[in-house]
Amino acid sequence: MPETRGRPVEDLGSVTGVDGLELAGAVRVRDLTRRFGEFTAVDRVTFDVQAGQIFGFLGPNGAGKTTTLRMLIGLLPPTSGEGWVAGLDIHTEGEGIRRKIGYMSQKFSLYTDLTVEENIALFGGLYGVTGDRLDTRRDWVLEMAGLKGKGMQLTGDLPLGWKQRLALGCAVLHEPSILFLDEPTSGVDPVARRQFWDLIDELAQGGTTILVSTHYMEEAEYCHRLVLMNRGRVIALDDPAGMRARMDEPLFEILTPHPPHAVDALKNLDGVLEAAMFGRRVHVVVADEEIAENAIPALFEKRSIPLDAIERVPPSLEDVFVSLIREEGGAAEG
Amino acid sequence: MDLHRLLAIARKEAIQLRRDQRSLILAFALPLFMVLFFGYAISWDVKDIRLGVWDQDGSRASRELAEVFEASGYFTILERPASYREAEEGLSKARVRGVLVIPPGFARDLLAGRRVPVQLLLDGSDANTATIAQNYAGAIVARHSSQVLLGGGDMPLLAGAETRIWYNETLESRNMIVPGLVAVIMSIIAAMLTSLTIAREWERGTMEQLASTPVKAVEIVLGKLLPYLIIGFFDVFVVVTAGILVFDVPFQGSPLLLGVLSILFLFGALGVGIFISSVAESQVVAMQVAMVATYLPAILLSGFLFDISGMPTLLQGITYLIPARYFVVVTRGVLLKGVGVGAMWPQAVAMIVFAAVGLTLATRIFKKEIKA
Amino acid sequence: MKISPLRVRVLIQKEMRQLFRDPKTKRVMFAAPIIQLLLFGYAVNTDVRNVTTVVVDQDRTAESRLLQETLTASGYFRIVEAGDSPRQIEAALDAGRAVMGVQIPPGFALALKAGEAATAQILIDGTSSNTATVAQGYAGRIVRDFALDRASERGLPTEAGIDLRARAWYNPDLSSQVYNVPGVIGLLLLLMALLLTALAVVRERELGTLEQLMVSPINPKELMLGKTVPVLIVCLVDLAIITVVALLWFHIPLRGPIVALLLAAFVYILAGLGAGLLISTISKTQQEAFLTMFLFILPGIILSGFMYPVDTMPEVFQHLTLLNPIRYFMEMVRGIFLKGQGIMDLWIHFLVLTGMALTAVWGASQRFKKSLE
Repeated sequence: MPETRGRPVEDLGSVTGVDGLELAGAVRVRDLTRRFGEFTAVDRVTFDVQAGQIFGFLGPNGAGKTTTLRMLIGLLPPTSGEGWVAGLDIHTEGEGIRRKIGYMSQKFSLYTDLTVEENIALFGGLYGVTGDRLDTRRDWVLEMAGLKGKGMQLTGDLPLGWKQRLALGCAVLHEPSILFLDEPTSGVDPVARRQFWDLIDELAQGGTTILVSTHYMEEAEYCHRLVLMNRGRVIALDDPAGMRARMDEPLFEILTPHPPHAVDALKNLDGVLEAAMFGRRVHVVVADEEIAENAIPALFEKRSIPLDAIERVPPSLEDVFVSLIREEGGAAEG
Repeated sequence: MDLHRLLAIARKEAIQLRRDQRSLILAFALPLFMVLFFGYAISWDVKDIRLGVWDQDGSRASRELAEVFEASGYFTILERPASYREAEEGLSKARVRGVLVIPPGFARDLLAGRRVPVQLLLDGSDANTATIAQNYAGAIVARHSSQVLLGGGDMPLLAGAETRIWYNETLESRNMIVPGLVAVIMSIIAAMLTSLTIAREWERGTMEQLASTPVKAVEIVLGKLLPYLIIGFFDVFVVVTAGILVFDVPFQGSPLLLGVLSILFLFGALGVGIFISSVAESQVVAMQVAMVATYLPAILLSGFLFDISGMPTLLQGITYLIPARYFVVVTRGVLLKGVGVGAMWPQAVAMIVFAAVGLTLATRIFKKEIKA
Repeated sequence: MKISPLRVRVLIQKEMRQLFRDPKTKRVMFAAPIIQLLLFGYAVNTDVRNVTTVVVDQDRTAESRLLQETLTASGYFRIVEAGDSPRQIEAALDAGRAVMGVQIPPGFALALKAGEAATAQILIDGTSSNTATVAQGYAGRIVRDFALDRASERGLPTEAGIDLRARAWYNPDLSSQVYNVPGVIGLLLLLMALLLTALAVVRERELGTLEQLMVSPINPKELMLGKTVPVLIVCLVDLAIITVVALLWFHIPLRGPIVALLLAAFVYILAGLGAGLLISTISKTQQEAFLTMFLFILPGIILSGFMYPVDTMPEVFQHLTLLNPIRYFMEMVRGIFLKGQGIMDLWIHFLVLTGMALTAVWGASQRFKKSLE
């Protein structure tokens, strides 16, 4: 391994790094940056992922989640910064990395004109899974994806949820130590999404490290650790409980027949940090609990907006992220 | 049919076309490129045929015969093999196209008033060039022979043909190619451009949007056709002008007649393109079909390069289904022959039928697909 | 980077399955070439036969009728109209009903008998310059021979003089089919190689499957092999099919060794594959790939000597043809079929074409590597 990257090589060659990080199934990223011309898509991103973790990337569209993942799996060279995947340098050891990881993109990317089994055989061959091991793994994938007895079907004819599970199966056919999932559930219905996350959880319990990006906030709850990105930068890195604890201002939920009017009115009220529609309710973050008890009912009275209920609720991750991104100065354009 | 809706579609199509660089290049640069390329590169004018002379006689008379070949301008003597093997090698290595073999005793027998055979060995693999070379050589030898017999005096042939060539007196192949090319280029461009337009709307899902408005199928078809008709007409102008200015192709007939017939032809060719576009599932399929169904037939079966009368009957029948076939006759007729409507009406009728059938089919298929 | 036989095998398997799954693709691969060979074999035809002819016989004698018969008996001319006014010739040529007009003037037979100059007027429509040139030659020869025959019947001295006896090698009947069908084989092989490769990479990129391959341990060489070997096989099968059709249906002689044909086709297909893959790797969309291919095929065919002899082109274009792989194959395939040439006779062609094929494949794999990184 050439010693050109600044960091002593010994740290990484050993199985256990400086922080007790198990490098074989882990990811380490330091100041990773990617620019496209003038535009900085990923700006000095730094984090560690430990073996066996489900590590979630969250953030609005254009936050830099996909770009970060693509750099880690060698689809995109970084402009600067360093990264190691399974102890291997992303700058120089792309080929070695590709042997050890699995990847599934947001766009379905198996061959629709091959049958289920032919796809499995293809990716098995590409990753060197053959013979008895291929038979075992094929059965496992068919079982896992609920495709038993459908092995001879053309992949293109399957419903999207099944296709996604098959894609996941092909990505873990060779039992990679690290699995990269780029918005794996986009466009999949809620039930299928649920099943999909159960599979991911199962894999993680089996020791696979999983890096997953998503923009479904409720999916963040499945992750062991989360990184919240906005405009190419990391704005928070924590576990879900820690994320929730970051929001110390009280959050109230208001029930009203006219949520849009309520939000308009609340936005101009002193002491209201944020007001947003949340489904058919309104979530409002206030500087002080007192505002919710007195000022808000008064305001509704004055504007003659019916106020059916107001109560303090624990913040969901979505509330936390919306509030963190607001503190950062809003999401990127577009 | 509502003119406003039709024009709205046409305007939309023109805007999209203006922003689509690829189509614009296809529409404007390709015709010019093709006419220049074809005009310069294609030539069937057979001259300077490479000849070897195996003179076994070595007399003054045999040298004279060789000189007559060289002086005709049709042959260039490149080598003088001294054996059968050398002659054969020249032919098989394609250094020469033919070898003139003058037998020993040529001069003696000629003076004695006997019939002297002279052999011309030809590389027959390129049948066309060989045929022409053979004809030229025959004429050269016949003339030389009678001159020798009469001691150099020019004698009237006993009998013969007095041949005159009309319309293209110098028999230049570019005069044949350029007018035909107008027709070929037009049908290719028309099919390629239009074959993309409807397939694209299906691919992008904008067709459903259009279908949900009160616009009628015939308005969409005609509206889409209009901008391409203008481009096509402009292309005819460019290609004809290039032919006249760059290649000195004559323009004997009426520009007005050519204009009117071009529009008729374009309606037919564009109708076929839109028809392909309507049945194809995607842009790529549409292009593939357009290429196989228009490009190659327009070149091979239109009579542009290969005479239809020389084809087998079945193939001749197929040529009637190719719009370019009619337009090739029109462009040659107007440019080279300078003939008027009197001679062109069968072509005009055929093109009208084509336009009508093409557009009707396109509209009908289109309607069906919107409903499906 | 080491090539893994396993990965290459599964990639080839995958391509084969994709090619053979779709019945439409199968038809394009194996039925279309036969139809195209039949179509082009007949259409690309420069033989001048059955030239439509108008005859205006103002002499109306046994001799003038005999002349007409001689013209039609040659097979080169077909009389479609007969009339008695020269105006009729003009009208027929103008409308394109006939390409040639023959006018036999009054007194033609008398002049023949008297041994004086008897001249038939021939008018030819020059718009189709090739046909006109050839028809002119035939008509001149036929009328000349006709006059000589009549003269010798009358015992006039015709024994003396030079007699040209032309003998065409390789193609004694001077049939243009014999020349063109081997050329069509070259054209069809090229079309097939390009069609199957030009979209190969760009389609996978558009579908996103290329990305999935790229994150696997595959290397560019393996992917190249996976993409080329199946197409090479399909093209060689096509070569066999269309060669058989050419031999059995068109009766084209195959005088050279089959090994030479096979080897030439192999190198040529490789060049086509390389070019197709190159187009595929530089194109962003399938449409772009298709257009690029289309733009290259046209000049490629014209500058190959397939339809127009290279040596009648302007010099600049003659030099340009030296860069055109199709030109080399056209000469090889015709040399092998018609002249019985072998590898030794064509070694320069083999050398150049191999160089071109390797360059194309190398270029494609370079582009490939770049797009994989």
